[in-house]
Amino acid sequence: MSRAEERRQAREVGGSDMKKFYLLFGAVAAVGLSVVGYNVSSGVFGGAVSTPIDVEGLDDPEALVALARGVAKGDKAPITIVEFGDYQCPGCAAFGMSVKPLIEQTFVETGQAQFVFYDFPLVGMHPNAFLAARAARCAEDQGKFWDYHDELFRNQARWSPLQNPGGAFRDYSDTVGMDGKEFSSCLNSDRHADVVTANMQLGRMMGVSQTPTILVNMGGSTRRAPGSRLIDIQATIDAMAAAEPGSN
Amino acid sequence: MRWRPPSQAPTSLPHDSVTGSQGASGDSGVLAPPMNRMVITILSLIGLFVALYLWAHNLGLTGPIVCGIGDCATVQSSQYATIGPVPVSAMGVFGYLALMGLSFAGIQPRHRASPVIGGLMLAGAAGGVLFSAYLTYLEAAVIHAWCQYCVASAVIITLIFLATLPEVARLRGSRS
Repeated sequence: MSRAEERRQAREVGGSDMKKFYLLFGAVAAVGLSVVGYNVSSGVFGGAVSTPIDVEGLDDPEALVALARGVAKGDKAPITIVEFGDYQCPGCAAFGMSVKPLIEQTFVETGQAQFVFYDFPLVGMHPNAFLAARAARCAEDQGKFWDYHDELFRNQARWSPLQNPGGAFRDYSDTVGMDGKEFSSCLNSDRHADVVTANMQLGRMMGVSQTPTILVNMGGSTRRAPGSRLIDIQATIDAMAAAEPGSN
Repeated sequence: MRWRPPSQAPTSLPHDSVTGSQGASGDSGVLAPPMNRMVITILSLIGLFVALYLWAHNLGLTGPIVCGIGDCATVQSSQYATIGPVPVSAMGVFGYLALMGLSFAGIQPRHRASPVIGGLMLAGAAGGVLFSAYLTYLEAAVIHAWCQYCVASAVIITLIFLATLPEVARLRGSRS
């Protein structure tokens, strides 16, 4: 039997089944490609602002201070411990996971100090840091800033290398019990981009160039801690207390 | 007395004797496409898209994971979502691609009776079911959360495995 004849016979045997099969295969492939393609395109082109924006008036210190805003943990206290942090910086993750709980335990829960976090995403080397800062601010809208802040640092190694971490950020919003739709709508917009940009500018004005940078404010004066370990912060507080008028 | 061959002795085996009940043919000697392999191709294609969606999500290419039932976020962000540097979803993509490729080849006229393709599909599907059972155990007993896509994939690979069972008959037929 010639090859052409074989092929003709093959077409005839089960030819109608094969036609139906190819139709079904094409239909399933079309539906699958549409669903996956839609999700990829909506993820990549979701409209989420992930870089600093132009904010008018940030050169004016008064306007800057009015717009820049940290997130405080604990009540007002005689001492304020300020962190300028970047969610994609490994040192900040180490600080957030191991030192911050000690600060809370030693100073915040005892009423000695208030801890305040300011965003300082190093956008030049950490492409996901600005979006992460905005994500944390979106969490703040739902009263979950600190839970989300900790979740971002806990999972830093997972989302940090992603091309678009928006999906992972939404996952973490579920993990900490937020309204996912509201969070997504916030993340896929430019909301809080002005505050994060202002915080970056404030940090630069205060001489911050790396993260984490820890500042201690006491009695109207501010000092930079020499490092981000608990003993560095404790030493800074002790030195400032010793230098205060009236101290021995 | 000299022995004589029977006059009506068959001169050859029926052409589809190695294919069992699947793949009956006409008088041409060409087998019909085995229905079970068609089913495997379609199921593998569905499984491929399920795994592809999860992989795209793992790569950060999608928006938020759409999870109507269960807690996909917990499962996908757990340490068990990757084995070493390789996402489990990527393994699913390549596994389903391999099964789809094999079954698609297996319905082409030249390979419809191939026991090799049948054997590879059987082994691949059995491996997939075992791996999927392990992942389902992790969801139930370790992570304590369910991901609807992982459950869907477990169902799909189980159906594929069931659809490969007629290949056992083909393999036996090819040996006899």
